[in-house]
Amino acid sequence: MAAAEGAGSTPVELLVSLGRNQSTKTLLKVIILAIIAAAAVASRLFSVIRFESIIHEFDPWFNFRATKYLVANGFYQFWDWFDDRTWHPLGRVTGGTLYPGLMVTSGAIYHLLRFLTVPVDIRNICVLLAPAFSGLTAYAAYLLTNEMTTSSSAGLLAAAFMGITPGYISRSVAGSYDNEAIAIFLLVFTFFLWIKALKLGSVLWGALCALFYGYMVASWGGYAFITCLVPLHAFVLICMGRFSLRLYVAYTTWYALGTLASMQIPFVGFLPVRTSEHMPALGIFGFLQLVAFLEYVRSAVPSRQFQTFLYVGLGGIFGVGLLGLVGLTAGGYIAPWSGRFYSLWDTGYAKIHIPIIASVSEHQPTAWPAFFFDLNMLIWLFPAGVYMCFQRLEDEHVFIIVYALFGSYFAGVMVRLMLTLTPVVCVAAAIAASQLLDTYLQYKSPEVVDNKEEESSDGTTKKSSKQSSLRSASQPVVGIYNVLSKAFIAGAMTLFLLIFVQHCTWVTSNAYSSPSVVLASRMPDGSQHIIDDYREAYQWLRQNTKEDAKIMSWWDYGYQIGGMADRPTLVDNNTWNNTHIATVGKAMSSREEVAYPIMRQHEVDYVLVVFGGLLGYSGDDINKFLWMVRIAEGIWPDEVKERDFFTPRGEYKVDADASETMKNSLMYKMSYHNYASLFPPGQAQDRVRGARLPDQSPVLNSLEEAYTSENWIIRIYKVKDLDNVGRDHAAAASFERGHKKKKAIKKRGPRVLRVE
Amino acid sequence: MRWLPALLSVIALPLGSFAAKSSSSSAERFQTFHTQAVSSSPLKLSDATYKKLTSAPRDYSVGVLLTALDAKYGCELCAAFQPEWEVLGKSWVKGDKKGESRLILTTLDFAEGRETFMSLGLQTAPVLLLFQPTTGPHAVSSPDPIRYDFANGPPTAEVVHDWLARQLPDRPHPPVYRPVNYVRWIVTTVSLLGLAGVVFKLWPYILPIIQNRNVWAGISLIGILLFTSGHMYNQIRKVPYVAGDGRGGIRYFAGGFQSQYGLETQIIAFIYGVLSFATISLAMKAPRTKDSHLQQIMVIVWGIVLTLMYSFLLSVFRGKNGGYPFKLPPFIVNSIFASPNSIAS
Repeated sequence: MAAAEGAGSTPVELLVSLGRNQSTKTLLKVIILAIIAAAAVASRLFSVIRFESIIHEFDPWFNFRATKYLVANGFYQFWDWFDDRTWHPLGRVTGGTLYPGLMVTSGAIYHLLRFLTVPVDIRNICVLLAPAFSGLTAYAAYLLTNEMTTSSSAGLLAAAFMGITPGYISRSVAGSYDNEAIAIFLLVFTFFLWIKALKLGSVLWGALCALFYGYMVASWGGYAFITCLVPLHAFVLICMGRFSLRLYVAYTTWYALGTLASMQIPFVGFLPVRTSEHMPALGIFGFLQLVAFLEYVRSAVPSRQFQTFLYVGLGGIFGVGLLGLVGLTAGGYIAPWSGRFYSLWDTGYAKIHIPIIASVSEHQPTAWPAFFFDLNMLIWLFPAGVYMCFQRLEDEHVFIIVYALFGSYFAGVMVRLMLTLTPVVCVAAAIAASQLLDTYLQYKSPEVVDNKEEESSDGTTKKSSKQSSLRSASQPVVGIYNVLSKAFIAGAMTLFLLIFVQHCTWVTSNAYSSPSVVLASRMPDGSQHIIDDYREAYQWLRQNTKEDAKIMSWWDYGYQIGGMADRPTLVDNNTWNNTHIATVGKAMSSREEVAYPIMRQHEVDYVLVVFGGLLGYSGDDINKFLWMVRIAEGIWPDEVKERDFFTPRGEYKVDADASETMKNSLMYKMSYHNYASLFPPGQAQDRVRGARLPDQSPVLNSLEEAYTSENWIIRIYKVKDLDNVGRDHAAAASFERGHKKKKAIKKRGPRVLRVE
Repeated sequence: MRWLPALLSVIALPLGSFAAKSSSSSAERFQTFHTQAVSSSPLKLSDATYKKLTSAPRDYSVGVLLTALDAKYGCELCAAFQPEWEVLGKSWVKGDKKGESRLILTTLDFAEGRETFMSLGLQTAPVLLLFQPTTGPHAVSSPDPIRYDFANGPPTAEVVHDWLARQLPDRPHPPVYRPVNYVRWIVTTVSLLGLAGVVFKLWPYILPIIQNRNVWAGISLIGILLFTSGHMYNQIRKVPYVAGDGRGGIRYFAGGFQSQYGLETQIIAFIYGVLSFATISLAMKAPRTKDSHLQQIMVIVWGIVLTLMYSFLLSVFRGKNGGYPFKLPPFIVNSIFASPNSIAS
C-alpha cells in the first residue's frame, strides 16, 4: 500500500501519506458524508424528543390526511379524489389541485417497508420524511459543489453547511411534513444534473435532469424557480458569447423532456405553454434553435460582413419575439404572471390587490436579522465565494453567480424564499471557506525567495492577465510563509465554524422545533409545561359532534380541523376561493344579525375561534382579525369597512374604548364571551394586547358556547337553531334572561284634524 | 392648451347663471351644468355655483371634490389626486355625452369656495362628496352627501370610479379612459434611438468595460450585499432612515427582530462587505504576495479586521435578539446599541 511506502518517522507524516491514498480518501469521504447525514437528521429531531412524533403546523396536516387517503385507497382513487369535506358546500377537486410528489413518495416508502416486512405506521414515515431527505440534500450539495471546484474539501464543507444551516432546517424538522421537505433535495439535485449535462453536453444527463425536474414539478410550486433560472443561465451564457453545442444539447433535452414531464401533473397541465412564468424557458428554447442555426451558417460562410448581419438579425428576431410575447399577453392568449409571482417584482401589488397573499406572514419582506439568524457566518462568506467564482468563470460558475443574485433578491422580498437561497449560500460559502482553509492548513511552507529577482517576470504576467482575470488573482500563488499566520487564521476559522455549529443548534432548538400544535412553556420552577389546547379541542369536536357537522373557522385552522377533528370545514389553507374566504371574514366581522343568515346559508353547526388573551398567546384570531376585515372588504366594500374597526384616534383597541363596530362584531363577542367572569370585578385583562376589559362581557344571542379548552385558546360555539315560535334570537334571548318585552310607548301628540 | 377650458368656463359661467336664473327647475339646471361639463369636466365651481348645483330638489347626482391646490396650503394629497380626478372627470363626460348617468363631477378649490368650506366645517382637504338625487327614480331618503374616505393615500381614477359606480347603481358608468401621452412616446423613442447611436459610436470603448470581470464581480457583490442586508425590506416597508432615542440623540439600530432602519441596513451591508473583503484578501491575495514580511503583516491585519468585525456583528445581533447567547471578544459586553426594551419576542 502507498501508506506503507510513505510511512515516515513522524506520526504527522504518516497521517499525511495516509490521506494521499486514493481509496483511503474515498473511504474517508464516505464516512464523513455519512456522519454529516447523521448530524443533519439528528439536529432535526428536537421536536420529536421534546414532544412526541406529531405532525406540525397547518399545511402538513392536509398532506398527512392526503397521504392516509392515498395509502388507504390506492393511487387511482387518489388521482380522482373529490373532497366534499372541505370548502363546504363547494368541495374541492383535491386530486387535481395538489402537488402529489410528497404523498406518493411517502406512500412508496410505506409500501416498500411493508414489502420488507417492516411494520411501520404511516404517521412515522410522514414525520421523519423531512429529516431523511435532508441527509440526501447534504449529499446533493456535495455533488453540486464538486462540480464547481477541484478542492474536495469544498464539497464536504458544503454538505455540512447544507445539513445544519437553520435556513433549511426551518422547513424540514421532524413533523414538518410539507412539500419543501423533499423539494429542496430535488432542487439541488436538479441543479447538479443540469450542471453535469451542461459540462458534458450529454443527452443522458439532460434526460436525468428533466426526470428530476418532473419530480420537482410534482412536488412543489417552487419549481418555477428552476423553470426561470435554467433559461436565465443559458441566456447569460449566450450573451457572454459562450454558446456551445454542449449548451444546445443540454438545454433542448432538458426543456423538451422536462416540459412533457411537468405537463403530466394535473395541477400543472397546460400551464407550461400558457402562462408567463414559463415563457422564458420556451423563449430561450426557440432562441437557442436560432443561435444554433446561425452558428452553423456562420461556420459555412466565412464573410465578416455576413457575420455582422447575422448577429444583427439575431438581435432583431429576439426583439420581435419579445414584442410578440408582450402582444400575446396583452391580447389574453398567455396568462399574465400569476399574483404570487407578480408580487415578487411589483412588491406593492399584493397589498393592494390580493390581501390574502399579503396576509400570510411568510410572504413578508425579510429584515436583515432574519438572514443572519438563518445563515450565520455563511452570510458573509457567501459574497466572498461568489467573488471566487469569477476567478475561473467557467459555465458552471456563471450559474452560481446568476443563482446567487436572483436567490438573494427573492429572499429579500419574501421570508419564505430564504429556502431557495440557502443552497447557493452553502455552496458559495463552502467554496470560500475551503479556499481559506486549504491555503492556511497547508503543512509545507514555501521557500523564501529573493523578490528582487522575480520583479521582471512579475511585470509581464501582470500585463498579460489583466484583461481576462480578477485583479486579486492576477499573480501566481506562492503560499503562506509563516507558521504564525497559518495558526492565527486557521484558529480563527475553527472558532467561527464552532460558533456556527453552536448557533445552528441553538436556533434549531429554540426557534424551529415547536410543532405549534402543542405549545410549551416554563413553569416558575423551570420545569416544562405542555399546553395542548388544540388537540384537546379537536378531540372534543371529533367525539361530541355529528360526523358531518360543519365547522366555521378562519382558514388557518381548516387543515387541522380536517386532519385532527375529521369534520367538514368551510375554508382551509388551500385558499383557492377568495370569495368563500371573504364570506367567512364577513360573518366574523359583522353584527350577529348579519352573520346569522350567512351561517344558516352555509349550514354551519359550530364556530371555532382561537383566543390567546388568557395565556398571552399572540397568534390568535383577534390579532388576525384585521386581515379578515380587509379580505371581506375586498368583496363587500360597502358592508365591511376597515376604518370602522379603529377608534376615532386610529387605534386598534379591544377594551372599553373599542369602536362600536368592533364590539358588535361576531369575532369580538365570541372571543370575549364570559371572559370577564374569570376575574374579580374590574380586573379582567387581555394578556396579549395588554388591555383592561370592561366587566360586562359581550352578549351573544344567536350562538351558544359549546366548549372552551383548558387555557381558553380554543373556543367553540354552537349555532342556535331557529326559534320555535318564530322570534328573532335577540328577542328570544332577552326573554330567556327574564327581561320583559318593552312596550313601545307611543307618544301621542295633540290630536289634529286630518286634512287631506 | 390649458387656457382653453378655463376660457370656455369663464364664458360659460355667466351664460349658465343666466340660464339658471331664468328657470331653476332641477332638470334644466342639470342641462345647463352638463353642457358646461361637456366642454370642461370636472367643472370648476365657486361658492355661488356650488350652492346652486347642490340645492335641494334635484334629480341628478353631483360629485364635488373640495380641495386646496394652492401651494401655500401644502396639501400633497390634493396635488397627487388632482390629475386622477381630472382623468376621471374627462372620461366620464366623454363616455356619457348625453348625460344619461345624470352625474356631474366638479371641483371646488379653497381659494374659490372659502364659505363652503366654512359652512361644511371642513378642517382638512381633499374631501370628496357625492350628492345623491333627492327626486326622480334614483332618489335616496337622506339628503346628506356621501363622503369618500381618503384613508389610504391618493387613490387612482379607477378606484374612485368603482366607488362611484357602487353608489350609483342602475346607471351607465363610462369606463376610465386614460389619454395616450404621444409626447412621452416620441421622447422615449427618440432618446432610445439616440442612446443606441451613442452606444454604437462608443462601442470600442464600452466593450472592454462590459467584458471586464472586475466590473461584473463588483456589481454582483454590491447586489448581493444590498439584498442580504435587508434593502428590499426598506423599499417595501418604507422604513425611516434613523430615529431619535427620545433624549435628543440618534438611534442607529431599531429594537426588535422584525424591524430595522435604513442606516442600520447600510451599516450591516458595510460589515458584511468588510468581512467578505477580508476573506477574499486572506484567501486570494495573501498567498499571492511574494514578500514574506508584507504577507505576514497582511495576514495579521486582515485577520484582526475579520475577528473584530465578526465580534462586532455578533454584538449588534445580540442587541436585536435579546436571548442570543454567543459572543466573541472584544465586544462581549451587552451591545451598546441595544435599547432596554429590545428583547425579541
